[in-house]
Amino acid sequence: MEMIRLENLSVALGQFHLRNINLAVEKGEYVCIIGPTGAGKTVLIETIAGFHKPYKGRIILDGDDITSKPPEKRGISIVYQDYMLFPHMTVYENIAYGAKKKIRDKRILEEEIERIAHIMGISHLLNRKPETLSGGEQQRVAIARAIISKPKLLLMDEPFSALDTRTTEKLRDFVKRVATEYDLTIIHVTHDIVDVWSLADKVAIMNNGTIIQYGEVEEVFSKPADDFVAEFIDINILEGEITEVLGEMVLVKVGDTILRVKTNTTTGHRIRIFIRPEDIYISNTPPDYGPGCFRAVVEKILENGPYVQLFLSRNNIVLKAVLTRGYVRCLGLARGKHVYVYIRPENVRVAET
Amino acid sequence: MAFLKFSTLCIIIALMVSLILFSAFIALLVMITPTDFIRSLETKEMQYSLRLTITTSLTATFLAIIIGIPVAYALARKEFPGKNLVKTILDLPMAMPEIVLGITLLLLFGHTPLAQLLSMIGIKIVFSPLGIVVAQFFSALPYTLRILSSSYETINPRYELVSRSLGYGELETFVRITLPLSKAGLIASTAVAFARSVGAFGAVLILAGGIYMVTETLPITLYLNISYGNLSMAVSAGILLIIASFITIFIIEKMGGGKLWR
Repeated sequence: MEMIRLENLSVALGQFHLRNINLAVEKGEYVCIIGPTGAGKTVLIETIAGFHKPYKGRIILDGDDITSKPPEKRGISIVYQDYMLFPHMTVYENIAYGAKKKIRDKRILEEEIERIAHIMGISHLLNRKPETLSGGEQQRVAIARAIISKPKLLLMDEPFSALDTRTTEKLRDFVKRVATEYDLTIIHVTHDIVDVWSLADKVAIMNNGTIIQYGEVEEVFSKPADDFVAEFIDINILEGEITEVLGEMVLVKVGDTILRVKTNTTTGHRIRIFIRPEDIYISNTPPDYGPGCFRAVVEKILENGPYVQLFLSRNNIVLKAVLTRGYVRCLGLARGKHVYVYIRPENVRVAET
Repeated sequence: MAFLKFSTLCIIIALMVSLILFSAFIALLVMITPTDFIRSLETKEMQYSLRLTITTSLTATFLAIIIGIPVAYALARKEFPGKNLVKTILDLPMAMPEIVLGITLLLLFGHTPLAQLLSMIGIKIVFSPLGIVVAQFFSALPYTLRILSSSYETINPRYELVSRSLGYGELETFVRITLPLSKAGLIASTAVAFARSVGAFGAVLILAGGIYMVTETLPITLYLNISYGNLSMAVSAGILLIIASFITIFIIEKMGGGKLWR
């Protein structure tokens, strides 16, 4: 069942424009919107919440056209990155504020607050003022306040971006749990690809006020619609020619390198292929896999926390690969070193032509 | 002067100016004896003046706040055609001499169809205590608006958006969220409005007429008595006005309202 549908939604805000946004989210689905700063992600969800008026298009929520309804009549909650807990109320009062319009019975209200506080792990904080809480605790309270009235749609605007990595990981778990428990439909704006991988069913990539690609996470992340998406999701793009068909496998010549790819296309075609950096295997000795395995030079090593980004080159091809720090140490990788590279055929995606 | 650092020079100037001002206050305080002060307070004229000042100032303050709240909210949060012009007009009484404000109000309430309309329904503003309230109100309003709209501007509008998304309408959100969050600004603006009303002179004199024991507020008492040469009454009125100002500054500083004064 469809929970929300945006049809050609267009909004003008000063010099900024959202143009022809189309998006449909099923009930219970978790959708992440990702894109660079200034892409219009926040404007989009604030428009869905009713804070900006579109000049064109419609917003259909649970079968109702809510385009011209005021925010308080929509049944859509919003959580911001800076929590926005009311500083003159306690945690309990903040959560109760979110429920009072729906739950009139005092006893039921108390039970509901207890229940959500238990799920979010904030039962011990109910009598505290927001300013005495840590960032993670404040965000848990903000989420509890937003969902206690069981909104039809929960909007989250970069909810973890003000938090440290460990708190973010914990909070992702809370959000996952609460999304199932309350059967929530969620649109979550983020700039962190990890949020998408760990939470979302679908992802929309935004740039310049439009949605460039929308679909299942696996699909979007392995088959980017254009170069912008590919670059944004940090995927390798290569172009080559099919030289031989071996059953359901083909051999693709990229420069002087031969790769094995699973596709139905026939010989003689030029195709674009995508390879995720984490799907590239590296070894010091030649693995006996035949075509699809080649030698390359480590051009650059970028430390990135627990992970390391490697830039590998072979003639005119440059490939990005991601490895753990431990694996890089184990292989003794350094700039200029020759390594063997292997890419499994099922990990090479072919662009639709 | 070359041996003096610029920052030291700034501090010396600040100290000198405050010393001169402080000496002026002291001069006023030592001009009369405590007995003279108490005797002045006991006169019918001073008691009338004090009572009238407090009543009219409280009324004007109440009006300035009640009208100031929605106006300041509109100026701080909403965009509408002619907003800048409205802002300038409302600020004008702060920049123009009080006496000019007085004459404009006198003409408006004395020689226009509005004046005729008001007199038809029995409202007399010119040369009446009501005129004092009107003059005090317009002297106080721009200050109230400045402080209130600054305090609304410091509140993140997302608090209001979150409240709306939780099912609360615009007015309910304003009452439950914005108003409590702007408490400091509200108290500071009330204090300033009261101080401006108590001290309003030029506009009150022109519009209400400064009539002995009819439209006589504390500044008028000071003015009338200094013209008669009754120094002790004039100085006592001055001391009362200074006390009112001290209390105001104290309240503003206590409420952190100073930060809102932009």
